[in-house]
Amino acid sequence: MWSRTFAGLIIGLLLSVSIVLNLNLLLPIKEDTMLLIGLLLAFPIWAGIQVWGYSFTSAKKAWLKLSLVLIPSVLINAVLLSLR
Amino acid sequence: MNKDSLKALTNAHAWVGLVISTILFIIFFAGSISLFRDDINAWELNPHFAVNEQSETLILDSVINTVAKDYNINTHGYFILSMPTAEQPLANLYFEEKISADEHVDQHLILAPNGKVIGKGNGSSWGDFLYELHYDLHIPEVGLYFVGIVCLFFFVALLSGVVIHWRKIISKFFQYRKDGKKDKLLDAHNLIGVMGLPFHIMYAFSGLVFNLLIIYQISYAVVLYGGDQSKLLTAAGVVDVHLDETKIVLPVQGLDNLYLTAKASLGEVSINRVSIDHFGDESAAVTFRGADESQFSTRKEATYHIASGRELYLTKDNFDNDLRGGLSVISSLHFGDFAGYLIRVLFFTLGIGTCYIILTGNLMWIQKKVNLRVEKQNLIGLKVVYAMTTGGFIGTIFASAVGFVFARVIPIEAIGRSDLISYLFFGCLFTAIVVSLNIKAQKQFAAIFLKITAVILAITPILDWLFVSQGIMAMLKLGYYHVIVVEVMLLSLALFCWLIASRLFVNKRTEADEQITETINISVQEQTPLST
Repeated sequence: MWSRTFAGLIIGLLLSVSIVLNLNLLLPIKEDTMLLIGLLLAFPIWAGIQVWGYSFTSAKKAWLKLSLVLIPSVLINAVLLSLR
Repeated sequence: MNKDSLKALTNAHAWVGLVISTILFIIFFAGSISLFRDDINAWELNPHFAVNEQSETLILDSVINTVAKDYNINTHGYFILSMPTAEQPLANLYFEEKISADEHVDQHLILAPNGKVIGKGNGSSWGDFLYELHYDLHIPEVGLYFVGIVCLFFFVALLSGVVIHWRKIISKFFQYRKDGKKDKLLDAHNLIGVMGLPFHIMYAFSGLVFNLLIIYQISYAVVLYGGDQSKLLTAAGVVDVHLDETKIVLPVQGLDNLYLTAKASLGEVSINRVSIDHFGDESAAVTFRGADESQFSTRKEATYHIASGRELYLTKDNFDNDLRGGLSVISSLHFGDFAGYLIRVLFFTLGIGTCYIILTGNLMWIQKKVNLRVEKQNLIGLKVVYAMTTGGFIGTIFASAVGFVFARVIPIEAIGRSDLISYLFFGCLFTAIVVSLNIKAQKQFAAIFLKITAVILAITPILDWLFVSQGIMAMLKLGYYHVIVVEVMLLSLALFCWLIASRLFVNKRTEADEQITETINISVQEQTPLST
């Protein structure tokens, strides 16, 4: 259980940061509104990812599947930041 | 969702709930009471400083002159005046007094509606103690983040609970099978959980925002603003109106005129807080802060340079920033400060209901483990969970009840009063947990302990009328009902404790309880030869 907890905790955090950053970089909305949208979305994403992590029957699967979602999101971050 | 995933999620839901249960119970119990923090502070303090007059406005310049004459106010420290309101006749002044070049002490003065200093409030902060317990458990530095992590796991438990219960969420919405032992606990857990779901989600989310916002603040500052935190804060609506200190001494004067200017500029507002930056320096600035009560969650603020009267900043709508506006809405929802007592009573009921959800969750886990075969049981775990449930949960209510009693009986002017009450609180909680760990008949212990707690909770209103009846009557005559509000809250809690003791922890040796005691006894006997 601990390993799945850490998978959700760590990857969930990174993924939530990554997704809201992507939204921030993609959507043409004014700065303060975007910060608010990011804030409203970030915590539910983090908790949701953790719940998803717990739904796997093994910790290995949880780490793998969650990482498979994180990697593309981080790559999009890198592309968007380099184009900025 | 397939069967294996659902099973994994159900196990995780139970595990997460169990791990955070004691801390979450403390957070929710202290938080529910803290909805009435202002009432508790007034309950503790006002009867000792009962006033016989009401005043619409405080003469600010007169207050400042008196305080500046009697105290050496630290120019670099805080100076905050909490204004009297329709609900609170007394004003509270907080500032730093300079004792020597390096030494400062916090001062809290109580002011009558006419501005006269009528006492010191340094030793009266029972309401604030409970509130701090709610948000950081009185753990210095890391307590805030620890509570934030617990909030995150609470959010996880909520979402996983919804997923697990999803297929039955409509069909079994009102199901409550009172005759089956396990069914009763499960149904109560699900019923209160589903009925209060929007409330729970709001609290999990807002708790996370208050306690773990720093994580996203750092990541945003690093990635989007190149590590420049000040740029992020500007985008987030944090306004810096700080003036550089001139080191020219100038008495603070003219606040009443500036107050009138602020009222005229801000429009519909009730100013509840006045703060001064750089007190006594030529650069001193005063900020008037308040809320527009005709609108939902709208904060207003005006800052002026005191010496020249120049306006430094003015906002009529949450700092004219969407993020600040959003945070203000989240804050109003969390504190239930937008619809009078009714919404706070509702939130209090739901908060205590959440405590009941946590309790039933733990009891179901205990029941499930007891029903396992002896060799499959983790007896130390079982004992610890039982002790944390009785000692930790009931201990928290008991310690709070003791805190209320001592907040009433210790003289208000006693030195170290607040510290003594806080030591008593933690002493009671710790003792309750230790005693629980050493008691075998947990159910009987829980029932008796809850009934004792109920009696102590019910004693406080009696003590109120024995110790400060004159003060209470004086406040009631002026239309201030804080004492009554707190007394009703305490009596409701006492009734709740008594009912739980009578219904859930039936005060007789039930079959299940005998089984638990027997199981623990057998295993202890089995494990003894191995350990010797």
